[in-house]
Amino acid sequence: MDVPARAEAKSKMLRILLVEDSQSMRAFVCACLDQGATELGEVELIEAASGFDALRLLPRGRHDLVISDINMPDINGLELLNFIRANEKYRDLPVLLISTQSSEKDRQRGLALGATAFLAKPFSSEQLVAALRAALDGAS
Amino acid sequence: MANLTRVERRGHLRRAAAAGPIREFLTFTLSVDLYAVELTTIREIVSPPPVTHVPRAQHDVLGVCSVRGVLVTVVDLRKRLRVAAPPASSRTRILLSETGSGEVVGLLVDEVRQVIRLGAGEIEPVAAVLGGDISAHVLGIGRPGNDPIILLDLSSIIGD
Amino acid sequence: MVDSIDKAREEFFSEAQEIIETFSRNLLALDATISEGVKDPTLINEAFRAVHTLKGLAGLFGAVAMGTLSHHLEDLLDELRLGRAELTRAVLDLLFGSIDVFGKILAAERAGSEAIPPGLDELVGRLRELGGSDVPEPGMVTEYELDPGMLAVLTEYEEHRLRSNLEQGLRLYRLHVKFDLATLDKALEEIKDRAKRHGEIITYLPTGESSSIETIELDLLMASHDDLSILIGALASERIIVEEIERRPQLSAAFSSRSHPHVAAERVLSVPSGHPRLGEEAADLALVSPDRSLRSLTQTVRVDIRKLDRLMNIVGELAIVRNVLSRIADRVRAEGQPQISSELFRVHRNFERRLTEMQDGILEVRMVPLGQVFERLSRVVRQISRELDKEIRFVITGSETEIDKLIVEELSDPLMHMIRNSIDHGIEDAAERARVGKPAAGTIALNAFQKGNHVVIEIEDDGRGIDENALMQKALRLGKIDLTDREQLSREEILSLIFLPGVSTRERADDVSGRGVGMDVVKTNIGHLGGVIDVQSEPGIGTKMTITLPITLAIVSALLVKVGEQVFAIPLNSVSEALAFDGRGVRVVDGRELMGLRGQSLPLCRLARVFDLPEENPSGRKFVVVATVGTKRLGILVDYLIGQQDIVIKPLGKSLAQVRGFSGATELGDQNVGLVLDPAALVEEVLLSGESAREKGLRAHG
Repeated sequence: MDVPARAEAKSKMLRILLVEDSQSMRAFVCACLDQGATELGEVELIEAASGFDALRLLPRGRHDLVISDINMPDINGLELLNFIRANEKYRDLPVLLISTQSSEKDRQRGLALGATAFLAKPFSSEQLVAALRAALDGAS
Repeated sequence: MANLTRVERRGHLRRAAAAGPIREFLTFTLSVDLYAVELTTIREIVSPPPVTHVPRAQHDVLGVCSVRGVLVTVVDLRKRLRVAAPPASSRTRILLSETGSGEVVGLLVDEVRQVIRLGAGEIEPVAAVLGGDISAHVLGIGRPGNDPIILLDLSSIIGD
Repeated sequence: MVDSIDKAREEFFSEAQEIIETFSRNLLALDATISEGVKDPTLINEAFRAVHTLKGLAGLFGAVAMGTLSHHLEDLLDELRLGRAELTRAVLDLLFGSIDVFGKILAAERAGSEAIPPGLDELVGRLRELGGSDVPEPGMVTEYELDPGMLAVLTEYEEHRLRSNLEQGLRLYRLHVKFDLATLDKALEEIKDRAKRHGEIITYLPTGESSSIETIELDLLMASHDDLSILIGALASERIIVEEIERRPQLSAAFSSRSHPHVAAERVLSVPSGHPRLGEEAADLALVSPDRSLRSLTQTVRVDIRKLDRLMNIVGELAIVRNVLSRIADRVRAEGQPQISSELFRVHRNFERRLTEMQDGILEVRMVPLGQVFERLSRVVRQISRELDKEIRFVITGSETEIDKLIVEELSDPLMHMIRNSIDHGIEDAAERARVGKPAAGTIALNAFQKGNHVVIEIEDDGRGIDENALMQKALRLGKIDLTDREQLSREEILSLIFLPGVSTRERADDVSGRGVGMDVVKTNIGHLGGVIDVQSEPGIGTKMTITLPITLAIVSALLVKVGEQVFAIPLNSVSEALAFDGRGVRVVDGRELMGLRGQSLPLCRLARVFDLPEENPSGRKFVVVATVGTKRLGILVDYLIGQQDIVIKPLGKSLAQVRGFSGATELGDQNVGLVLDPAALVEEVLLSGESAREKGLRAHG
C-alpha cells in the first residue's frame, strides 16, 4: 500500500493503549475486543505491562483511548491518569479505568482526577465494549 | 513487555455451538467392524510415516515415529483391543491424540471413514454382551443407521 | 481453532499458578517469622495482595470455586493485616491448607471439570469463622499534613500502606528522581534495591509536564525509620533529591477527593513550562523497531515449554541442512571446483557458528533454577512431617542451580518420593532419636550444584540409615540374588539392591506412603532424563542419595550406529572409543563375553541379542563401541558405525516408561526416528550378576 492510502487506513483505525500488569487480564481484554470487533471496527491494541511502559508508549503515535487498571504496583492507574491530565498533549485523551468492585475510594479519586469512564471487575465483553463506546463518544 | 496485536474486523462472530446433546465422532474400521471416537479427542490424522520399532515395548506398541518433529508413540489399536489385524493397506491411518501428560499417541487403524453426529438418543449403553477385553473401553453403541458403531473411550485406551 | 478467549484462559491458568506459588512462598516466609518471633507486616500485605489479585482474575474468568476461596482468604488476610486477628500457628496451618485446595481447584479448572474439590467447603467454613468481623475500621488520626495532591492519587491499598507505616512511627520522604528512559529499568532496580534497606516505597508518581522521549521524572513516596541525613547519604545523587515530608498538626481532613482535579494536578507538578514540544511520531515507529527500552520492569517472560521445543525442532532441522551443505561442498570439491567449494565451506562454517549460537541461546532460555521444585518440596515436607508427627528440619542449598526446564518438570516426583521415603523410613521417631542421642528434629538436606556438564542433586538425611541385612534378606526372598551372591557382594552392590523392583516397597500399605514408590521407578525415571542415581548409607548415621543429571536434555553429540536395519544413537559423552571387531580374543566367563582391550577385560554386550533384534552376520565383522559409565566399562557390539551427529533427544512418552535401556529418541532426517541408548542402564543391566540376571531382565520386558 502506498503512503497516503496507508495513512488513511491508519487514521480510521482505533488505537487503544491498554495498561495492565496482569498477563491474563491483558489477554482477556484482547479477547473481549476481538469479540466486539464488529461494533468497534478496526482496532489496534497496544499493550503496556506497567505504568512505566505506558509512559514510554504514550509519546509514540496518537492514541484514541487509554484503558488502565487502577491497582498496579509502582505507578498505579490514578497516578497515570493524573499524569495524562496534567499534560497538555494528552489532556483530552479518553481514559477508561478498571477498578475492583469494592473500592469506592478508588473510583471517587478517579472521578476527581478526570477519568472518562469506569469499569468494575469482573466484567463481560459486552460491558467492556459498551464502556469503550461511552468513553469514546463522550470525548468527541 | 509491549505487545502489538491487530484485532481485525470480523463479520458476524460465530460462537462455538453450545455443548448440547449432539456430539461428533470420527468413524474408522478395525478389521471388519466399525468403531468411532469423539472427534474432539483427535488432533490429527496422518498416513503412517516410518515407524521405528522399540525393543522391549508392550506387544501392542508398534514403536515410535515423528510427525513434524513431534515424537509419537504408535499403538496398534487392533492389537490393543485384541481384534484381528489384517496387513497394512494404503488406507491404513494413524489417529493422533494427546494424553493428559502431554504424550502424543498415535493409533493405527485400518481405514478412516467419516465424521458422524450423534444425539444422546442415538447412543445405546453397552451391554455386557460384548467381548470382555473391549468393554472396558466402550462408551456405547451408536446406531445412526442400521450398522452398529462401537464408540470407544479414547482416554481409557491410551491410558490417560 | 484456538479462540482468543481460550488463549486468555491459558494465560489465566498460568498466572493463577504463579500467584499461588508466590502466596506459598509468602506463607513459608511467614512461617519462619513466627518461629523467630519477628513481625513483618509486608509479608501479610503481599499475601493479601496475591489473594486479592487471584480473586479478581477468578471473577473475570468465571472460576467460581477459586473466587470463593480467594474471597474468604482475602477477608481473613485483611483481618490479619489490620491487626484485628492474630496470626497463630493454627491460622497459618489453615492458610497452608488453602494452597493444596487451590492446587486442586486449578487442576479441575484446567480439566474443565465442574466438580468441587473435596475439602473446599470445610476450608471455607473454617475461614469464615476466623475472618470477617464487622468491626468498622478504627479511624486513624494522623499527625501528618500530606499533600492532598499526593493522597488523591493513592489507591486504597497504597493509602493503607501509608497509614500503617505512619502508625508505626515511620517518617515520610519524597524522593524526586529523574531518569533516562534508555536506562530506566536498571536505574529503577538500583534505587529500589538501595531504598529497600531503609524502608518501603509506597508509590511512584510521574511528574513533569510531558514525558519526553528521553527522560522521565518521578516522585517516590517512601516510609523509613531513618533520619533524613542517612537517607540523603544512601540515596541522593545528582538525579535524586530526598526531602522529608514534615510533621505538622493536621489542618484539614487527610485528603479531599472532591478537590478540583486540575488544582490537584497542578500541585503535583514540579516542572512547569519549558518542556520540548514533541513532534508527532509516526505510528510506524512503535511497530517497526521494538526498542530494547520497551521492555517492562519485570525482566522475565513466561514461556510455554512447547514453544521452546518447537524452536529446538527447527534448530534440529537446520542442523540437517547444515550437514547437507557440507556434503555438497565435499562433492563440489571432488568435481574439481575448488573456488566454489571453498566458498561453500565458508558458508557452512558461518552457518554452523550461528546455529550453535542460536542453539545455545534457546538452551539458555530453557534453563530454570531448581528452586522451583525445591520450594514445592518444602510444602510437602511440612505436610508429611505433620502427618507422621516427626519434626523435620529441611535445609536447602543451591536452589539457584539451573537446569533444563523439561528435566525440572520430571524431577519433582522422584525427589518427592525419595524425601517421603526418607521421612517415613529413614528418620526415626522422637523417642528413638532421643534414645540414640540425636536432636529431636530430623534433618533432611537438599543440595544442588553444577559439576561440568552435569547438575548434582544430593538428598541426605540423618536417620537410621539402610539396614543392609534386611535389604539382602528381602532381595533373597524375592529371588533377586542367591546365597553365593550374598557372600560376594560389596557394600556398594548391596546398597544398590534398593534399585531392584519390589525391593524398596513395603510389605503392607500404610496411610502415608502406601506401599511406597519403589526406588526402581525413581531410578528408571532418572535414567529417562539421562541421569544416574547413587546411594550411600551408614547405619545409625544416615543415608545420602546422589542424583547426577545432564544440564540439558536438549542437544548432545552422539555416535550413530546400526544394528541390522535399525539405527541407534549413543551419547558421545559416554563413549570412550570405537573399534573394529573381528571376534578374536573373546572369552566367555560366567556366561558373559569378554574381550581383551589393552591388557584389560572388557565385558561385551551384543545389542542385537539384548534387544532381540535380527542380527546381521553374527560371526562376521562388527564394531565395538566402548561405553564408560563412572568406573564401569562395557563394549557394545553393533553392525555398523554411521558417524557422529548432534542430535536433539526427545523423551519417550509415559506409555513407554517401563522400557529400560533408552533415554529417548531422535529424529534422523527424512522423518526417520532413531532410539537413543542409555549407556548407564545398559551397563547396569549387563554387568548385573551373570547371564541369569540378564535373562530375567529380558523376560520381564519381553
